[in-house]
Amino acid sequence: MLRIKTLLLIFFMTSLFLSACAPSQPTLKIVMGLSEDEWEVMRQEIFPPFEEKYGIKIQPIQMEADDLPSALEAQEAAGRVEIDLFAQDNMALSYLVNKGLVEDLSVYEKDLPKTIIPALVDAGKFDGKLYFLPYRPNVQIIYYNAEKFKEYNLKPPRNWNELLAVAKVFKQKEGVGKILFKAYGGAPTATQLYEWIVSAGGDPLAINDEGCVETFTFLQTLWPYCSPDSIRAKFDTSNEYLARDSAYLMQNWPFGIQVIVKDYEKENIATYSGFAGPAREAHVVGGEVLGIPKGAPQKEMALNLIRYLESKEVQEKLISELGWPSVRSDSDALVPLWMKPYVGSVEEALSYGVFRKNVHYWNDFEKYINEAFIEIIIHGKPVKPTLDYYHKMLEAAKQRV
Amino acid sequence: MIIKAAKKYWLEVLLVTPLLAYLLGFTLWPIIHSTIYAFTNYINGDFPSLVSFEAIITNFQFKEAVFNTLFITFFSLFFELVLGLGLALLLLEKFRGRKFFRALMLLPLGIPTIVVASNMRYIFDTNGFLNEIFYRLHLIEIPINWLGGGILTLFTVVIADMWKVTPLVMLILLAGIESIPKEVLEAAQIDGASYLRRLWYIILPFLRPFITMALIIRGIDAFRIFEMPLALTGRVVPVLGTFSYFEYREYGNIYTSAAAAAILMLMIMVAITIYLKVVKQDEVAL
Repeated sequence: MLRIKTLLLIFFMTSLFLSACAPSQPTLKIVMGLSEDEWEVMRQEIFPPFEEKYGIKIQPIQMEADDLPSALEAQEAAGRVEIDLFAQDNMALSYLVNKGLVEDLSVYEKDLPKTIIPALVDAGKFDGKLYFLPYRPNVQIIYYNAEKFKEYNLKPPRNWNELLAVAKVFKQKEGVGKILFKAYGGAPTATQLYEWIVSAGGDPLAINDEGCVETFTFLQTLWPYCSPDSIRAKFDTSNEYLARDSAYLMQNWPFGIQVIVKDYEKENIATYSGFAGPAREAHVVGGEVLGIPKGAPQKEMALNLIRYLESKEVQEKLISELGWPSVRSDSDALVPLWMKPYVGSVEEALSYGVFRKNVHYWNDFEKYINEAFIEIIIHGKPVKPTLDYYHKMLEAAKQRV
Repeated sequence: MIIKAAKKYWLEVLLVTPLLAYLLGFTLWPIIHSTIYAFTNYINGDFPSLVSFEAIITNFQFKEAVFNTLFITFFSLFFELVLGLGLALLLLEKFRGRKFFRALMLLPLGIPTIVVASNMRYIFDTNGFLNEIFYRLHLIEIPINWLGGGILTLFTVVIADMWKVTPLVMLILLAGIESIPKEVLEAAQIDGASYLRRLWYIILPFLRPFITMALIIRGIDAFRIFEMPLALTGRVVPVLGTFSYFEYREYGNIYTSAAAAAILMLMIMVAITIYLKVVKQDEVAL
């Protein structure tokens, strides 16, 4: 019996030893949150030339923006950071900086190509330090059902008044609202509100200034004419609602083009940059930036990959294959014919681009602006006193953070 | 004594240790850690402190989450019990295809909750199957917003949850009914007792411990409801589980998230205590 136990133990220990000694190819672990179509382009077109040049294997890891902070925190706490490079939504950066999870890349700013749009570089700065480098700008555009607009003799709205008028016509004709507002909560709602408040001439981070009050007051008027699915509308579900005729107009990121036109085969969907608020037309420039986790095992190689992803060659491939806008002003690629009108809308929207202020209390802002939205728009509370309350809450949070 | 046993069974102890470490590390330690966070002041780090509890108790979404959790738990349990009992009694009867029907009834238990919720969305969406049926039957002219919030949406969650879990309640009650001595039921039938009287005076009293078990096991589970409201309604129906999740994941408030989790844990502990007391009472009665 003792002999069997000893043999079992030897077998167990030997297996452990052998698995630890197994030869491994040098790999660079990169985290991105992409769709399968986008991964395919990365795997087949983008990564292979880099792998060949540097003799390294890129291990791509799919991870959503929400999951990245906890993954990095866990790796840092375990003292074993395994991610070399990550692409993160530029609306979800403050937590990574606040928690000290990312490398300060300020010293590399001078090496950035001169043709990279300067505003995109500034978007990666916190308190003057550069933590994130640009590689994919993004902006929301308006998608609308051209057939339905034609049927009711409507023109795509170019300002808030026209939007309200269109919303009323749809409600009257169909008995149910057909304008989709992303009211799911969290980042989708906060981003949309940010943009609308800037369009109204306000400062979103103030929460209760004139522009904020005007935006919420308008939304209170618009809400009864919005699609009932608005309350569950976010980046992904919005595409489905438009494709299934549950809504006829929505604002969303350009990835929706692939989903609605290619996957759902909805050729009656047209796009344009968007509508202006009382002050101007403004669209939040989102997208993804690249960062290196603090303690990343292959920092230099990760920097090489960043330089490669920002290169003219790669940026042009990303435009022509995926329709992603470029971070460089000198990119000049051929866009597939079917994609041209959509890319045109994106470019026009980018010309009205505004950058969200990188503040350390962004998470608190997102929470309070969402709570204000629920209370005012969904529960019908008075605008000014409610916004004043959340302004105070945000001020307290600023001190705390 | 322990050292002697450990010497004798050293290999067994060695092999069990990883599992034990896993359970302690991934179950007990997170609970302790989360509780410490719940009682830590998120402003200045003082411990113990009730600041996080104060912050969430004054939050309107937390109040909604508590109400929704209790509402869903109560009505889910009620309907699952009534339907589960009905199905158990039906499956007790001898009819053609009974075995097939019994297997079919268990099918929902094997389907992941997230899949159930996604399928239910196809049914209850404004452009969903249910509205389409009602429209074709000329019962409605504009779609009903089943998932738009309020009591209607809460009942939608209850129905979706019921579809998934009723088979479990049915199984427990079926086992209880089958344990009733046939002679008792036959004697009552010979004495001329109607079906309803047999149900009221024989079956239900015999089923009492089984009903209690089903209620409490499901009750504990119902408090933890998470994926169903989240996948079915988004954030329209916040429950304690989703409130805690969003506080941490979306807003980075680990302390308030832990406080909400602690309140949820307290609710579950109360349910477990009741369960253990009932089991003990039933054991004494037996």
